Amino acid sequence: MRLGDLAAMSLGNYARSRLRSALTTAGVAIGTALVVLLIALATGAENNVRRSIFSIGDLRLVTVQPFQPGANGLSAVPRTIDDGVVSQFRKIGHVAGVYRQFDAPLGQVVEGGDDAAIRPQGIEPNAPIDRGDLLAGRHLALGDRGVAVIPGNIARLVAPNVTAAIGKLVTLRIGGAVRLGSTRVGGSGTPRDYPVTIVGVFDEAASQTSVRIPLEDALVAGADNRGLTADSLRQQTGYSGIAIEADDSTNVAEIVRSVQELGYSSFSLKQVVEQIDQGFGVFRGILAGIGGVALLVAAIGIANTMVMSVLERTREIGILKAVGAAPGDVRALFLAEAAYVGIVGGVLGLLLGYLGGQVIERIIRELNPRTNPAPIFVVGPDLVLGALGLAILVALVAGFLPARRAMRMSALSALRYE
Amino acid sequence: MSTEQTLAVETRDLACTYMSGATSVAALDGVTLTVRRGEFVAVMGPSGSGKSTLLNVIAGLERPTSGWVRVDGEDLAALNEAGLAGHRSKRVGMVFQAFNLLPRYRVVDNVALPLIFAGVPRAERTARARALLDRLGMSSRAEHRTNELSGGELQRAAIARALVGGPAILLADEPTGNLDSANGAALIALLDELNRGGQTVLLVTHDGSIARHAGRIMHLRDGKVLD
Repeated sequence: MRLGDLAAMSLGNYARSRLRSALTTAGVAIGTALVVLLIALATGAENNVRRSIFSIGDLRLVTVQPFQPGANGLSAVPRTIDDGVVSQFRKIGHVAGVYRQFDAPLGQVVEGGDDAAIRPQGIEPNAPIDRGDLLAGRHLALGDRGVAVIPGNIARLVAPNVTAAIGKLVTLRIGGAVRLGSTRVGGSGTPRDYPVTIVGVFDEAASQTSVRIPLEDALVAGADNRGLTADSLRQQTGYSGIAIEADDSTNVAEIVRSVQELGYSSFSLKQVVEQIDQGFGVFRGILAGIGGVALLVAAIGIANTMVMSVLERTREIGILKAVGAAPGDVRALFLAEAAYVGIVGGVLGLLLGYLGGQVIERIIRELNPRTNPAPIFVVGPDLVLGALGLAILVALVAGFLPARRAMRMSALSALRYE
Repeated sequence: MSTEQTLAVETRDLACTYMSGATSVAALDGVTLTVRRGEFVAVMGPSGSGKSTLLNVIAGLERPTSGWVRVDGEDLAALNEAGLAGHRSKRVGMVFQAFNLLPRYRVVDNVALPLIFAGVPRAERTARARALLDRLGMSSRAEHRTNELSGGELQRAAIARALVGGPAILLADEPTGNLDSANGAALIALLDELNRGGQTVLLVTHDGSIARHAGRIMHLRDGKVLD
């Protein structure tokens, strides 16, 4: 039997009992629509979360904290990160860069007044946090001393605009009490003043209080504050944190493992994203399962219709076999008929699910205009193909037993059937 | 010409046994027969004599319990289910008492139906079906549905369907059973005419006045060939 004849003949059979085919197809359409709608919802939610994570930071980054990982996150014990440890970090495979950071005590930009409270962060040139967010000037460079890169809001306190702040000499008062918002924080040690030149202004979207200064300056300020030398501070207190950059985000997990083996706890966005992915996988699975139940009900409908159809056409099956239809031809005819239910139902279901999502989205935005502008329902090409494939697969599985029954029917007894 | 090629049907010691409850019933009990090409053979016998079973075995709709059957030189025992389907679409054409046409198709589509399963392209199928209907004086009915046809016309359409594959043998099972005497006589005349044109015909009937038209009559009783 030719494929074209099979398609035409089974289409005739599918179209013959209109109401019954329409109802069975509607079942598949509703099941498919539900699957599409729910997965589109899950995808939309996942995209939304991922988008906000990607805007936060770099997936190649592993941040090491001066803690020893405990049995759980709460029981972490402080552990010093000294230069010996840093050199061990440098030896880990796939590490593209290791950047030390030392946070000096809280302070203030004197010229900015009480509102210019700052957290001075001593960093190395090209540290991941000091990249690509400048409003004016430059980032920290190798050999810099007595300079600072400050947030835009503080720059505007000390100069008419951010550009005018560049090159301005200001005083950092580090230590002692500072005002953060409306509360005064009793700071550590005696305040000391350090003159610095502003070389860069960064977008305060990243932070309104961080001031980026060279690592050595921060260590000196920290040491002064506690009556130590910079070198003994390195040994005793250690660094506040280390940013390790992987050569590729796929190697992040390996680096995290190595850091933990060295006895330090670490954090990477990549792992957070993976956990979110996992969580959304489960979420999506549950939603798909709910839709799947609807498709299962539709499958039972198809099976029922096909069983009836085989029974009703018993005599016809006998005639087809008597004039030369092979068992495989008969099975193919009924399977193709079931496939039509799946194809038509799947396409209708896709349209229904997509349009349904659009309507629901419009209603949500109508009711709450401040809803996040990102799409709530996302129908991608893989969902389109997947849903259509699933509908056809379900229809074929449901049609399999009835089709086999038709195939195995004896031609003689089928011919005698009234 | 070898005997292989001159024989349309050859059976040897055909037996067909059914279990009916605890007792076994022999529908065929050692039937040996040959039908040469171009012959018109009538198989006569009362109901239950096994004549329909004989036809079904030759058509490949039923497998014998023992013995063998060759149609056009092909041993049916060697064929699987798909092979038997091919046998039915190519070597034999069947005509039934109940016509067995599909009411939802046009007459021409009914006639062309066996060719679908033989893999013949649509245009050729339709052309062959129309030519055959023309030959049987049915061309005016080609586009009609079967429920618009009389009994005699239905059986002519059925014969056209049986012949469309160019079978080695036409198997007719009580073809006049549902026809009045005038239409019955016309149908037998048609079979006669087809036979004179070279078509091998094996007819099964219980009616002696119809069997008379055949070149040879075989009597079957209790699954055995008489005389």
